[in-house]
Amino acid sequence: MFKKILLIEDDKFLRELMNKKLLSLDFEVSTAADGEEGLEKIKAEKPEVVLLDLILPGINGFEVLERAKKDPTTANIPIIILSNLGQSEDIEKGLKLGAKDFLVKAHFTPQEIVNKLKSILG
Amino acid sequence: MVKTLNYGKFKLMERSFTNIIDNKEDALRRVRVALLNILEDTEDARRIAVDEKNKTMAIIENLTDGILLLDTNGRVETISLMVESFLKKSKEEIIGIDFFDIIAGNEFKALKDLLKDGGKIKAVQRKEVEVGDNLNLEVTVVFLKTEQEEKGSLIVLHDVTRDKLIEKMKTEFVSIAAHQLRTPLSAIKWTLRMILDGDVGKITEDQKELLDKTYISNERMISLINDLLNVSRIEEGRFLYKQENMQLEDIVDGIVKSSAESLKMKNLKIDIDVPKKLIPEVFVDKEKIGLVVQNLLENAIKYSKDGGDIKIVMEKLENEASFKIIDSGVGIPENQKERIFSKFFRGDNVVALETEGSGLGLYTAKNIVEAHKGKIWFESKENSGTTFCFTLPFAKK
Repeated sequence: MFKKILLIEDDKFLRELMNKKLLSLDFEVSTAADGEEGLEKIKAEKPEVVLLDLILPGINGFEVLERAKKDPTTANIPIIILSNLGQSEDIEKGLKLGAKDFLVKAHFTPQEIVNKLKSILG
Repeated sequence: MVKTLNYGKFKLMERSFTNIIDNKEDALRRVRVALLNILEDTEDARRIAVDEKNKTMAIIENLTDGILLLDTNGRVETISLMVESFLKKSKEEIIGIDFFDIIAGNEFKALKDLLKDGGKIKAVQRKEVEVGDNLNLEVTVVFLKTEQEEKGSLIVLHDVTRDKLIEKMKTEFVSIAAHQLRTPLSAIKWTLRMILDGDVGKITEDQKELLDKTYISNERMISLINDLLNVSRIEEGRFLYKQENMQLEDIVDGIVKSSAESLKMKNLKIDIDVPKKLIPEVFVDKEKIGLVVQNLLENAIKYSKDGGDIKIVMEKLENEASFKIIDSGVGIPENQKERIFSKFFRGDNVVALETEGSGLGLYTAKNIVEAHKGKIWFESKENSGTTFCFTLPFAKK
């Protein structure tokens, strides 16, 4: 069975690239371009992992994370932050809010990101 | 007896009395003039003193900093006008009152916590506190003493709200700029990687070679942005994040392991010399000290000739742990040794050798080591090698 990934990313090109990579490895992918849409899809689709950007229009990634973790129906869905923020404060804040991992986009290749996903999916 | 005196004698006596009285009168008159003169001088002196006092008071009152002069009992004697606006109280509510009673309100808690030491005020030097609604004050307290006696204390409050705001805007700007720059670079990185990995179809050897170089160029850009981010944080003076007790050996070990690839590429041998007994722990931000070791090791690798040796020596000194990295590389030219830790500086010989390098590595390293109250220095001879050393004080038990 294919694992379902939700990708919340506002940059269209990055979203397409990651989407392509995940599809090529037979993942089922759903995408959202802002925080609000992302939060709705987390609730409605119950993906197995969420890849979450932080700087998003409207509701930012930290808030999406916080709300998803507060809602008992979505609290158990693992969320990996995939952002270009990456100062120690940001990382600590993300992990404290319940993110499974914090990946700086510019420091990881798509394959390395997929490997992280796989390790979380088991 | 008088009756027996004859008239002539009496006359004589009278005359001499008159003389004496005249003389006395004269003397008194002179004394009076002298006294009047003295009085006039004193009055002048008093007037000058009052003028001086008024002038001093006017200067103190109109200073743009908040100044409070406390007597030996901690009561406020004199203030500058700015104090009224900083403490949101009128002069009448301040003068003659105990300073800690004035700042008893909750909005001044930070100030009270900073200055109160038991029941007394304590000396501080340029410490920042936030009071009330976003008012940031830099506080200094000095005790006024003459050789014989205490004369109370002087509190100086300097408004740094604006500086704080600019600092905050700069941080935000840098982190947003870094984020904005990283996004397109991530897109380039991901695209190139996917093409190189054959995710979008086969490519020829020639194409691969070109794209490999493009990928490396892009990685360089990413690391340059990281360096710039680090430098901007250093300059804000809030670079160290979380300090903890660590074994220096462990930090070095991790960095050396992650550099295995680049050591192999240049066929370099690395030798690590640590004492058998663990060196006492150091109190560090491990990520940042890791960055120092990494920068020094990267330099040693970059500027060594193929097949050379690098040696790392760690030792326990009296009060500090020492790290030394010895390479047999190109060295630092004598006339450029002074500038080696300056921002953006790169030696002539290495610029000719390697076009890449931001000139930020050693600047960053020096700032990190010094923020940990350590020292960093080097010895080098052109064309025969360089040794970089740093020390870090042991963690307090």
